[in-house]
Amino acid sequence: MAGALTKYSFINAKLRARISQILPDEVFGQLAQSASVDAALALLRDTPFAPLEEVYNSTGDLRLAEIELLKSEIELYRNIHRYLHESSRRLVDVLLSQFEIDNLKNAIRIYFDRKVRGHVDESAAHYILYEPILRSIPMDIIVNARSFDEIAGVCQGTPYKAIIEKYGAVVESEGSLFRLEVAFDQLYYADLIDAINKLDRVDREVAIRLIGVEIDLQNISWIIRFKKFYDLPLDAVVAALIPGGFHLNRATIDELYQAQNVTSVLQKFVGGAHPGLSALLASQASDSTSRLMLIRRILEEIQRHEVQRILAGYPFTIGIILAYFILKADELKRIRMILNAKQLGRPLERIENML
Amino acid sequence: MILTTAMTQLFAVVLRRDKERVTETLLREGVMQFLSTSELDIEPRHNQSGAAPDASLAELSDMRKRIEGILHTVGTIPSAPQETDLQNRAPVNLAKEAERLDRIDGERESIRERQRSLQQEILKLEDLRRQVNLYGVDLGKLQAPARQSMLAMQTGRLPASNAKRFEESLKGLPALHMALAQQDGMVHYLLLSMKRDQEPIERILSSVGWTKVEMSQEVLSARKNLSGDLTAKLQALTEEQKKLQDRVTDLIRQEEPHLKDLWVRLRIQELCAKIQASFQSSSRTVIFAGWLASSMKERLSAKIAEACEGRCYLEWHDADSDETIASEVPVQFNNPKVLAPFQMLVSNFGIPQYGTIDPTPFVMPIYLIMFGLMFADAGQGLVLTLIGALSAYLTRNNQAKRGTYHLSWLIAWCGLSAIVFGVLFGSYFGKALFEPLWFDFHGIVAGHPETGSVIRDVYDILSITIYFGITVIVLGLLFNWFNLIRTRRWVELVFDKGGILGGWIYGGGVYIASYMVDHGYKEFPSGNTVFLLVGLPALLLLIKEPYHHFAHGKAHAEKAGNPIFLVLTFLMEWIVELLEIFSGYLSNTLSFMRVAGLGIAHVCLMISFFTLAGMTSGVFSVLILIIGNILVIGLEGLSAAIQALRLNYYEFFTKFFHGTGKLYTPISLDSEP
Repeated sequence: MAGALTKYSFINAKLRARISQILPDEVFGQLAQSASVDAALALLRDTPFAPLEEVYNSTGDLRLAEIELLKSEIELYRNIHRYLHESSRRLVDVLLSQFEIDNLKNAIRIYFDRKVRGHVDESAAHYILYEPILRSIPMDIIVNARSFDEIAGVCQGTPYKAIIEKYGAVVESEGSLFRLEVAFDQLYYADLIDAINKLDRVDREVAIRLIGVEIDLQNISWIIRFKKFYDLPLDAVVAALIPGGFHLNRATIDELYQAQNVTSVLQKFVGGAHPGLSALLASQASDSTSRLMLIRRILEEIQRHEVQRILAGYPFTIGIILAYFILKADELKRIRMILNAKQLGRPLERIENML
Repeated sequence: MILTTAMTQLFAVVLRRDKERVTETLLREGVMQFLSTSELDIEPRHNQSGAAPDASLAELSDMRKRIEGILHTVGTIPSAPQETDLQNRAPVNLAKEAERLDRIDGERESIRERQRSLQQEILKLEDLRRQVNLYGVDLGKLQAPARQSMLAMQTGRLPASNAKRFEESLKGLPALHMALAQQDGMVHYLLLSMKRDQEPIERILSSVGWTKVEMSQEVLSARKNLSGDLTAKLQALTEEQKKLQDRVTDLIRQEEPHLKDLWVRLRIQELCAKIQASFQSSSRTVIFAGWLASSMKERLSAKIAEACEGRCYLEWHDADSDETIASEVPVQFNNPKVLAPFQMLVSNFGIPQYGTIDPTPFVMPIYLIMFGLMFADAGQGLVLTLIGALSAYLTRNNQAKRGTYHLSWLIAWCGLSAIVFGVLFGSYFGKALFEPLWFDFHGIVAGHPETGSVIRDVYDILSITIYFGITVIVLGLLFNWFNLIRTRRWVELVFDKGGILGGWIYGGGVYIASYMVDHGYKEFPSGNTVFLLVGLPALLLLIKEPYHHFAHGKAHAEKAGNPIFLVLTFLMEWIVELLEIFSGYLSNTLSFMRVAGLGIAHVCLMISFFTLAGMTSGVFSVLILIIGNILVIGLEGLSAAIQALRLNYYEFFTKFFHGTGKLYTPISLDSEP
């Protein structure tokens, strides 16, 4: 069995060098202040994001530039995968499957909009990744499918087939994709936790801390959607959530979903573990959606804190890889967010708030 | 050069009517680092306020950045304003210019919008093409698509009056249509679309009076190259897209001269506003203060007096005067250009405090000697020199790459040092082509030293670096004493680890070690000598903590209650201090052995490559030597540079250099935006 040093010394050095290349906060400040998408992209010219400008200049299409960003993110995972010890590769494979699932969700959404909602948005089909990510799934057929059976058929040999078969009819009868999407997310996180459980003890503990917060974040996103668009009863919400979260338990969700005076609940939620976050609690949230948004911010802060803790701690664990992925995903998310905000002409203050 | 530039503070009062001319003069001279209005420490009266410029600094800065953003998209970086720009400056009409910028942005956005819709067309056709490629439909032969294909192909006719509407309606869908013939007011079409769009296609077809018709082979054969048409259409759209892309560039290029001029005018106005933001104004006067180099005092006096025709009051205070406002004096390096790469190394560590020694002139020889000792090869040094000089030549005019320019010169200097030491040790690409001027480093490492040479083995090489280290440390201590004397920190001068007592112990230690080495490690100096050299200063150090306790009694008030505890604390702190001094200086000195270590490693690597080359012959042998030299230049060069830097930072700078100074940044025409 390979030791921690053998497994992680090279990748640790490599990723630390790469982490130093992640855009600093000042650049995001400058991007937020830029007057247009063109100006923002010009600022990224001397960074690894230079190809975005090229795509935007030649097409005027920001979504195509975003697809480039997505491709580069996928390539990043593949690249790291190459340098990993076999025992850690499965985890990265599962992490990579999130892109496949998202892509599949997007393709099914096009079919669903056309077939179930009778709404044709031809342009959406252009922003699907047709090249295989992990498994060879013919996205063309899914986009052009005539039924869920056809979609399930082309997903033969993948874990997605069973989900599509199970929820296809429900989606059509309810006129909503959310059960299918929740099932996909649950599959992803179940695989992820399974991969984490196969790691050795030290790696498992580190991974569960980071992924636990991510599961919390995902659950919060779902809860916000449930509350805002579906107004589901609490039991249905809890049933749909992904198990394995780190901070959110049934009691907290219950209180947050329904409580009117949220400050005390939040204090309990953040607990004594993250006193630095008390500043965030000062902003009193009035309605339940704002409360959940506030929790989301708190969880993001906790995730940042965990990442910093890992970077400052013992270096030869899976933590460095997960920390890098989280930092990189955050960087890409911020770039996407700023560019879209510029495209939509959002005011600087709002962009800075979102950052 | 050894000390930073002497600074003077100016406190000035001018009439409000002269404000603009004085501002212009101050900007032109570009030597003042202004004190902020809050630092001026003047009680504001009811009619006294910070001078508000016509346009706010934020507005000017926003518009300048907006222009920079536009110009950056075509790769133009505006250059700093010149003196003539200042002379001919005219105020910018912000509202009018904002309108112009809005127009440019608007035009660019409308082109981008056109690009976006064109791109949608391209993507739709690419969608069709992807299907064709996937399912191998041979459109050239006009065969119907295979069953599993997602393409649908049909032929039919519709009234000529509906043709335009038909074509327009298809624009939102991935579909290719081709007029095949026109007969009796009807147009015959071939339509290729996606099966998934069956419903909308049928709606469109029924709305335009489409009738399905099987075309005769003759009609079809007249226009059978559908695949070619698809490609041609895509090509045409791509070309149009390229034209639109060029139009965006042309739009900015067209406006570039005006934007550059506007940027310069805005920058001048912004700098003036920035200067005036440091002015404290009353209804009739303006007060300002700031730092500048003492050598500029006369010139600036004359220039201000000239600008306001003598109607001014100027008060000058040297930096060490008690009359100055604000405590921290900014620091201006005072080195010739040749030292710029080494100044970069110093400022990377920190800025010296005002009035203390700037180590830059000493870093140059110390760094280069260290590098030379670790990387002594004339041939490889020549390569480094050429690389450095070439890189410096290529970056000489690029203001954005000033750091790279200085780094290039540093590489060139390191190369020169390697050449000098290579000649001294007789090493040329790892080969002894000429007799060494000093000693044969390669010979010693390989075990066949020159006969009659003073340096006979690796221990002699190690001792050279140890003596070099002692010199560097002693120099650091002397600088520390000098700084402490200049800043009148007398107690630290005596009791500090790098003070006189610390230095005394270090000097004593060095003497005792040399004595032992000279006597074959068998003899120790007499007890009295050891006591005098090490014991006495160590005992004197015992005074330090009690002195601090009684001089700053309040800080230690909690310990005052128990005299035994107090004495024990003094003793403990004394022991810890002594341990720190002994172990610290010992490790600092031995740390310099790395210089010899890397030098030996360098020689060993070259010997290894020559041995490997000796195992083969001909081209392979030459190839091994070339690759070996490249590896050694790259890897050894890097580690020698890093180790030399490390020794400077940690063994030399820590003795005297605090790096807590504030860099002098006057407002001038070429100030960084």
